[in-house]
Amino acid sequence: MKTYRFNNSQSLFTRAAKVIPCGIYGHLSPAPLVPPTAYPFYAVRAKGSRFCDVDGNEFIDYMCAYGPMIVGYNHEEVDAAAMKQYEAANCVTAPTPVMVELAEYLVDLIPIADWAFFAKNGGDVTSYALMVARAATGRKKILMVSGGYHGVAPWAQVPGHHGVMDDDYKNCIRVKWNDYAAFERAVNENPGEIAGFIATPYHHPTFADNELPAKGYWQKIEAVCRKEGIVLIVDDVRCGFRLDMRGSHEYFGFKPDLICFCKAIGNGYPISALVGTDSLKSIVSRIFYTGSYWFSAAPMAAAITTLKELKRINGPKLIRETGEKLLGGLVEIAKGYGYDLKVTGHPSMPYLRITNDESVMLHQDWCGECTKRGAYFVSHHNWFISTAHTDEDIQKTWDIADDAFKAVKNSRGV
Amino acid sequence: MSYQLIKANLNLYAVLKNLEDIAKYDEEIASLVKDWDVSVQFSVLNGPKAFIEFRNGVCTVGRGKYHNPSVILFFISPAHLNRMMDGKGNPIPLKGLTKLGFLKRDFIKVTEKLEYYLKPTDVLLKDEAYLALNTRLTLNTAAFAVSELGPLDPVGKLVTSNIGNGSVNLKVLPDGPGVYITFRGGYIEPGKGEADKPMAIMCMKNVKVANDFLNGRTDSFTAVASGDVMIRGQIPMLESLSLILERIPHYLS
Repeated sequence: MKTYRFNNSQSLFTRAAKVIPCGIYGHLSPAPLVPPTAYPFYAVRAKGSRFCDVDGNEFIDYMCAYGPMIVGYNHEEVDAAAMKQYEAANCVTAPTPVMVELAEYLVDLIPIADWAFFAKNGGDVTSYALMVARAATGRKKILMVSGGYHGVAPWAQVPGHHGVMDDDYKNCIRVKWNDYAAFERAVNENPGEIAGFIATPYHHPTFADNELPAKGYWQKIEAVCRKEGIVLIVDDVRCGFRLDMRGSHEYFGFKPDLICFCKAIGNGYPISALVGTDSLKSIVSRIFYTGSYWFSAAPMAAAITTLKELKRINGPKLIRETGEKLLGGLVEIAKGYGYDLKVTGHPSMPYLRITNDESVMLHQDWCGECTKRGAYFVSHHNWFISTAHTDEDIQKTWDIADDAFKAVKNSRGV
Repeated sequence: MSYQLIKANLNLYAVLKNLEDIAKYDEEIASLVKDWDVSVQFSVLNGPKAFIEFRNGVCTVGRGKYHNPSVILFFISPAHLNRMMDGKGNPIPLKGLTKLGFLKRDFIKVTEKLEYYLKPTDVLLKDEAYLALNTRLTLNTAAFAVSELGPLDPVGKLVTSNIGNGSVNLKVLPDGPGVYITFRGGYIEPGKGEADKPMAIMCMKNVKVANDFLNGRTDSFTAVASGDVMIRGQIPMLESLSLILERIPHYLS
């Protein structure tokens, strides 16, 4: 099978590094792509489940822009709704009616939601959720899960990292995921001081197997939060609308007070949302929190169309089934080469790891070889499945995976 | 743990350790020490202890007490040792007064060479041999500093507590030098060469790239993305290691 080259990506990166800090920063940085020479750095166009890079290579994309893409790149209806709104009014002195329509739609869609607040990025609303919890309780401490990702605000960053001061996270207490005893202990050790508990619906850290909630975990957490007056915040930025249209808490059977959405809500149009219960609505109204583009109407129009389309086609069911089919095949192909391909997390956003080598170098080699053949796989992060991934994509992905396993086996000899 | 104590540990266990490679790779020093049979004990009140042994042309720097050393150099505090290492103070010889001539005449040549190699200038770095040895010593200092900063420095402690078990290899291509750092159950063991079955590897394309990278003259993300620095395996271990390494200039300028 032909393998790709990335000369134009490398050249552009060299130019970029002169004028942009580290060339490409943040979660799109090539640094965790191992080896970076096996990956495209720049895309020029995208459609459906695929994108093309600056070297003319086409990829079946299993990262979906790290989550925002869910119904396919350049989705005609979503883009048409956004364009129509752009033509009418986007960023204007006053908000547009579409903002009300989207809020009403979310309140109807999500059982616990009595109101909706819009921003741009997931981190906007996770930080806001903490402010709401603190304002509602008059308490300062936040419980969160070690290794959980809630954006890049200083409180959400890993202690010890650059630009993060001790004071930034001194009121954040981290407990292990699925460790209810640790959660309960932290609550008991800080009586009347915990404002909120923020966590993703299930644990999806980078560079590690993902973990679904243990049976009864969320229900026990919810019970303690109710008893102690702790605001229960679900960071549904990554999972939202991928597991359940009503919010991932419905999938796992519990009721939070606040839910943070982003990524899939607008299929790539920049918008995030915080939704919550009626009891917190007046508190939210008192906290001044805004941004220059938070009232942009086109992303709101895109979000309404995306959500309606997902509901129409039962998107969560579709991508779960697509994921299950894809993953089942990959696991079998791996077996044929003597490799144990472990899948964790939810099938619609799985984390994969070849367990034969705990250093993950083998897995990195395989992901790199797949990407060089046109299936964009990363080794450090969960993947994303979209409703645009087709049976044809899956078959081609299996063929690529097979050839990549062969290449890895040949080069490593094991 | 005080700043001075951490700095003293770094000086004795990471910086002084480089005498081993200076005696091995610097021709002038190798020739000078080839017939030495002497041991020097460094003893810091309420601080670290280390020894330097020269025997059969080999220099060995170790932790703790040396049995019956030729010379004992005493320091009344970690700050006293650090002043001496910064060239602003003198030790108190407790044993080996007859060796004072050796210390002032011969041993000082070795320590001056240490300073020479660890304080590079742009001009010196243009010399290939100097660049190679400076890079080797910088790599060694990094590895051995991690084992001190991991358990002692506030950021080091924070980072080390989550780093996981296994070895990290740092290597300059094509032929070295290389060092490894093994993390296991909270303990950190550095060494020269390569560990078997590392959990993570960082390879620097050549000596020049390594020197720039290790001395913070290149952006690490750009270096990795461009392929000048190649990383594999458990990347979070390398990220954590990098955070610890960045604490070195806080103590050793």
